[in-house]
Amino acid sequence: MTSFHFDIGERARHAGRFIGRVRGELLRALSERKSERGLSQEALARKLDTKRSLINRQLSGESNLTLRSLADLAWAMDLEISFELKKPAVNAGQNQPIQNQTMTTSTVRHGQIRYINGAAKPAAVHATPANSELGQPKKSA
Amino acid sequence: MTTIEELVETNAISRIQVEMHPRDQELRLLYGTPDFIDWLGRLAKGAEPERRLGEATAAEQVDDLFNTFLSGQPLVYMKQFRSIRAEKNAVWELKTPDVRIFGWFLRKDCFVAVFGNWADVIKDHDLYRGYRISIRRMRREWGVDENLCVQGVMPGDVLSL
Repeated sequence: MTSFHFDIGERARHAGRFIGRVRGELLRALSERKSERGLSQEALARKLDTKRSLINRQLSGESNLTLRSLADLAWAMDLEISFELKKPAVNAGQNQPIQNQTMTTSTVRHGQIRYINGAAKPAAVHATPANSELGQPKKSA
Repeated sequence: MTTIEELVETNAISRIQVEMHPRDQELRLLYGTPDFIDWLGRLAKGAEPERRLGEATAAEQVDDLFNTFLSGQPLVYMKQFRSIRAEKNAVWELKTPDVRIFGWFLRKDCFVAVFGNWADVIKDHDLYRGYRISIRRMRREWGVDENLCVQGVMPGDVLSL
């Protein structure tokens, strides 16, 4: 055997990596706060009126996090939580089709090729394409 | 002088991979011995410790750890990896809430896993010393102590951070 593919299934993978990402983000945030402000687990525990061992277990993943405890930890670190659900990128890293726009080129007049974009403002006709992302990979989320 | 390619060709170690997000690519390398691969296979089939601490299953924890490692993301020192003892040719441990994986770094960003076990079993029976000695013996028998083993014990010696 030259390689082994550790496959636990898409659903399990999705859950495990989400949980791991949340904890990783907490650990990184605390590490940054520690170097910026000297914030320790002990100080977090005092601010939240709880035991340092519980904070340690929550951060290391040995104790479950509730939404409230997550919010409390963020509050104690003076940080906001950004939460968003979104559609997955179809093919991350690839150019994506321009949506709801039809673009044609015209060589009716002499000179440089003009890009005529129906959805664009007139001022944009002679300049760069209205959609400035044309020809550039669209960043995936 | 033994090379990684020779170890792979003789089936002493095999490459370990996980499903990765399309935007990611492997920036580190992970190998395992046949016994470790067997253990990993049992884990993938649903093996669990008697009393699980983590919210994710043991397999999910390991998948996340491997994905983090392979995709080149930062690992948190002491929480996710550490050397068992600060010594030359150290044995290293990869950690999740419920799982411990022992092995060593063949090169920077290139880990070979030798033993996997439940964290509580290792702590209850104090298996750290036994695993460390077994791995050191294995390296001596393979003749890779000098040329296929990261010498340093600082986090930056074994991982690009």
